[in-house]
Amino acid sequence: MTDPADQPLDETDQAILDQVRALHSLLDPPPPDLNERVQFAIALENVDVEVARLVEDVLAGSGARGGDGSRTITFESESRTIIITLADTPDGRVHVDGWLAPAARMRVELRLGGATPDTPAASESVVSDDSGRFAFDGIAHGLARLLVHPIDDGDESSIVTPSLVL
Amino acid sequence: MPITQKPNRHFAGGRSLMHVSTDTTLGETGQDDRRTRLARCLERARSGELAALDEVVRELNPLLWNVARAQNLNADQAADVVQTTWLELLRRLHEIRAPEALAAWLVTATRREAWRVRTWHRQHMSEGTEILESTPDPGPEPYERLMSDERDRVLWRHFQRLPERCRTLLRIVAQVERPDYSMVAEAMEMPRGSIGPTRGRCLAKLRELLLADTEWSLS
Repeated sequence: MTDPADQPLDETDQAILDQVRALHSLLDPPPPDLNERVQFAIALENVDVEVARLVEDVLAGSGARGGDGSRTITFESESRTIIITLADTPDGRVHVDGWLAPAARMRVELRLGGATPDTPAASESVVSDDSGRFAFDGIAHGLARLLVHPIDDGDESSIVTPSLVL
Repeated sequence: MPITQKPNRHFAGGRSLMHVSTDTTLGETGQDDRRTRLARCLERARSGELAALDEVVRELNPLLWNVARAQNLNADQAADVVQTTWLELLRRLHEIRAPEALAAWLVTATRREAWRVRTWHRQHMSEGTEILESTPDPGPEPYERLMSDERDRVLWRHFQRLPERCRTLLRIVAQVERPDYSMVAEAMEMPRGSIGPTRGRCLAKLRELLLADTEWSLS
């Protein structure tokens, strides 16, 4: 092999590269919860899924997080768009309103990550109405994700969203 | 090939360049072991034990994060891209022909996903009221405080002066060991054969800047 990439670097270049890596780890590290979020997101029983991508995450109202402004998040998958609006309730929990488009009756599952890795994850399910609407009330803050399942076992696969922090 | 901390003949003072702690450098054998180990995790995941991927996530997330950030995504976008990439992996678990190519597959998927996100934002946000400003590479000023060592500051300052392509390449190259350079080629959309020469040019440029800097060569 004469590929120059396979030639060993001299000591100085290697040391410079090591410093470049170390500085990036120091100045631009991955978010501390990234591993946890990914591990929560990929904990699935069935891998035959359609992935919904987060395309928009907008804070409404005053624009300040933590105010009475709500937060609207849009996910898009090949077959459907999922929009959820999150609003803080006075008891310190979260109310979730959601829509599926195109509208359909589907089983919408909200999975919540435990406060610690050892706490079992909780899950709640509702069925969307004919106009594609669904809602969850009194949800705890923390890691959460949606799974949207077809009601009858047709060819359709479930749609999964990435995890997000409520 | 562990880095020996011999006096450095290029710089006066002979101090080691490693001021901030660096990860353990794996030799080629260690690298092969790692590839085999990750391939085994993939096999286990394929046979239904998805938890086997947790180890792969911990090991490869830093690389994928750097690939996403090097594509000019802000931190939130990069975190989303990394997550979506793993979800895509689940969907295609059985399509990866060579399990030892898992890392390269993930790097490619991350780059494509990052490209999608960038394109989406360009199309949808250009006329919006609120344009999300992307924070590309961390710039120099606000970070100066985090660096306690003068030589770190000097290196970072000159690193920022390199052309963007060089910064991206060196950032990714620094994350992977030599036998895995096909991943760098994937991340950079460059032929494997031009990684070596480009790396050489970029490092030469950086060395030149450093050597011309009295703060560097005198410390």
